[in-house]
Amino acid sequence: MLFNFYPLFKLDRLSGFISLFIGLFSLLTIIYSFKFMQGRKRILQYYFSIILTAVFSVGAVLANHLILLLVFWGFLGLTLYLLINIDIEETANLTGKKTFIIVGGSDCLLLLGIAIIYYLTGTFQMDKIKISLTTDYRLLNTLAYLCLAVASFAKAGAMPVHSWIPDCAKDALVPVVAYLPASLDKLLGIYLLTRISLDLFVMSKTMNLFLMLIGAFTILAAVMMALVQHNAKRLLGYHAVSQVGYMVLGIGTGSSLGIAGGLFHMLNNAIYKSCLFLTSGNVEYKIKTTDLDKLGGLSKAVPITYISCLVASLSISGVPPFNGFFSKWMIYQGLIQTVGSTQYIAYKVIVFLCLVAAMFGSALTLASFMKLLHSVFLGQVSTANHELSNKTEEVSFLMWFPCLVLAGICVIFGVFARQVPLKYFILPSLPKFLSTSNFLGFWSAGLATFLIILGLILGILIFSLFKISFRRDSLFLGSETKGVLETKVSGTEFYNTIKELGFLRIIYTKAEKGFFDIYEQGKTLIFGIGRFFQFLHNGILPTYLVWCLLGMLVFFVLVF
Amino acid sequence: MKLVFNYLVFPGFLFSAVVGLFSGWFDRKLTARIQWRKGPPWYQNFLDILKLFSKEVIIPTQAKFTFFISPFVGLCAVVIVSTMLGRVLLDPSESFIGDLIVLVYLLVIPAIALILGASSSGNPLAAVGASREMKLILGYELPFILSILTLIIKTGAIKLEAILNHQMVYGSHIASFSGVIAFLVTLLCIQAKLGAVPFDISEAEQEIMAGTLIEYSGPLLALFKLTRAILLYIMPLFLTILFIGKDISFKFLFLKYIGLITLIILLKNTNPRLKIEQAIKFFWGPVSFLACVSVILALRGW
Repeated sequence: MLFNFYPLFKLDRLSGFISLFIGLFSLLTIIYSFKFMQGRKRILQYYFSIILTAVFSVGAVLANHLILLLVFWGFLGLTLYLLINIDIEETANLTGKKTFIIVGGSDCLLLLGIAIIYYLTGTFQMDKIKISLTTDYRLLNTLAYLCLAVASFAKAGAMPVHSWIPDCAKDALVPVVAYLPASLDKLLGIYLLTRISLDLFVMSKTMNLFLMLIGAFTILAAVMMALVQHNAKRLLGYHAVSQVGYMVLGIGTGSSLGIAGGLFHMLNNAIYKSCLFLTSGNVEYKIKTTDLDKLGGLSKAVPITYISCLVASLSISGVPPFNGFFSKWMIYQGLIQTVGSTQYIAYKVIVFLCLVAAMFGSALTLASFMKLLHSVFLGQVSTANHELSNKTEEVSFLMWFPCLVLAGICVIFGVFARQVPLKYFILPSLPKFLSTSNFLGFWSAGLATFLIILGLILGILIFSLFKISFRRDSLFLGSETKGVLETKVSGTEFYNTIKELGFLRIIYTKAEKGFFDIYEQGKTLIFGIGRFFQFLHNGILPTYLVWCLLGMLVFFVLVF
Repeated sequence: MKLVFNYLVFPGFLFSAVVGLFSGWFDRKLTARIQWRKGPPWYQNFLDILKLFSKEVIIPTQAKFTFFISPFVGLCAVVIVSTMLGRVLLDPSESFIGDLIVLVYLLVIPAIALILGASSSGNPLAAVGASREMKLILGYELPFILSILTLIIKTGAIKLEAILNHQMVYGSHIASFSGVIAFLVTLLCIQAKLGAVPFDISEAEQEIMAGTLIEYSGPLLALFKLTRAILLYIMPLFLTILFIGKDISFKFLFLKYIGLITLIILLKNTNPRLKIEQAIKFFWGPVSFLACVSVILALRGW
């Protein structure tokens, strides 16, 4: 080969398919941006950063040298910061700062982890490293693993280092959000987690348990927050956090099916999440707001956007036969396998807890997407956009096309899950772990889809055979003619009863004040320390003299 | 081809629709007798459906594609469930790994169809109904998952065949402490899934005029009614397979089915409708607690 980068870069099946999808998302985002970014400021900086991001991402995925990985990882943090800052609003700048601090902070941990690995093994070459978490040097090994894991969590957005994602989703430009936090950062973060969990380290049971707990907690906590959001983009942002939980949970199971499910879920999530963000971008472009209280009844105005959003919503909620269901189903199976492989009852209990959290989290996800669909596309037409939503006027081709492509991939990956994504992408990338025997007797999504479609066709045939007549009429409101139509039932009110329910109310109030946000807490801590020093530096000479004297005394005591 | 036959005729659409409509009649008759009335003749439910099919469809001005397609999707999903259950009962080896999870997820689809259809109509009362329906799902899903977990712990697999085999060897699940608690919990969840009193909150005729169904008329309404009827047939069947599946010969199956459906109807006739927050508190509070107890008991091997 002419260019042999082997010790520095390495292309295997895992990094290969991730690079492929990085390319796909970059392409779609750029197509989308042609229209969306038209007439905005800092366009050059925008496209420059997007392309750099794609290059650095592929670099980070292909890197086989830890220092190279670190460098690319750091540059990705920088381009993320630049991209968030494209928007000239002040909130975007603040969010950019927050993101940079959290992601940059986790990069420091990555550096520390790499240093420890070098200390332990004496090499930076990733395919030569194999550290066991079960044998000697346990503490140091575990520390190294945790450092790398936190870096991947911060990138992907697992709790507790998630808080930049919802803010970023709300404040940054839509294509940026769809490109980075929704798709590329998921791919990269979970790639790193998979790489370290499968290749660099030999996992111990405790560490698997830790991953599973983080995953389960992330799923539930983030989706509960999503349930009560009033802004479409922020709602999607919380889901971007919640879905990471499934991936971490899947990889944490340590069983072959679970890991494959986690990887598959990563891919699926990147697809439907960026589709959802792009559709919310279409709505924002058209109506100039993503506030759920002000939207409603848009399905007629933007049908293609609506269909894409519907498909992606059903996928993320895990409705069969879409792709989200398949990967979730694999993760559940993985959890059950893990239970079967252990004897400890406490371990079993925790795995079962995670299973319940994952399944219930899926119901909560469904609930919050029903709310989203109701308040954006269905439901009553809001007065603000009345004239817009009466006639069909889809957004530009450049904007709906990427959404439709992504929605199409959702359907294909769900219906032909075994024939396409699992066969070509997921299973080959985990050669050590999988034998095909594990995958006998799968649920065949294709068959079920065929049956549903058959049912639909027959139903429509019967409808046309019986010559059923249709009539359009205004809404039926019983005998109440006045006041009912004016009282719009907005989707944001759907779950108020849950918000007011007992102890959940306390948690929600705390969460809204940023009590669970690691950034806010860190800020309080650092400002607290700062205030302490501020208090000391009062600018009065005698005080400084007293400090000098005290210092000298201590010095003398120590020296003599 | 066999599959298409299974899907459309037996044990799928045609069969389950007929059984479901008969169950619906049984429900009405029993309710009437409880209320000291005479009750309708056995063919009443069939006539109702036929009548609805002969009517025109009224589509609200704002509604479009989703409004039309939702009833079909809901019906197809329940028919797939009934096909899967029927095939497993006829030949347990038709079961596949994890089909229990697939069933649990498929059983949510009718509710999703109802919600999407209702909210696409643009009617505020339908929106109220849709929000209640969704909250009700959130309510019962937690204890439902927990009681399914009890079964997973007891049998060690999420496969209907394994569950049936386990019961054939070790006796019905209901015969154990954890099993009986999980059975009661699932029964309550099924009551909610069927939208029967005390959990008919999303329809609440006297309050929000059938809520989710308010804009539906004619054949589309008939499809929802059929879905409900088939659900009335498959939910007790599902419960039978999960908890009292020791003997699945036709005679016993029939008796168990009649028993369960009578239980559901009695629950329905002796309770007032709850408010939605009461229902959520009920499911997340005492019912989930009971389900947790059953999980713990199952882990202890009881």
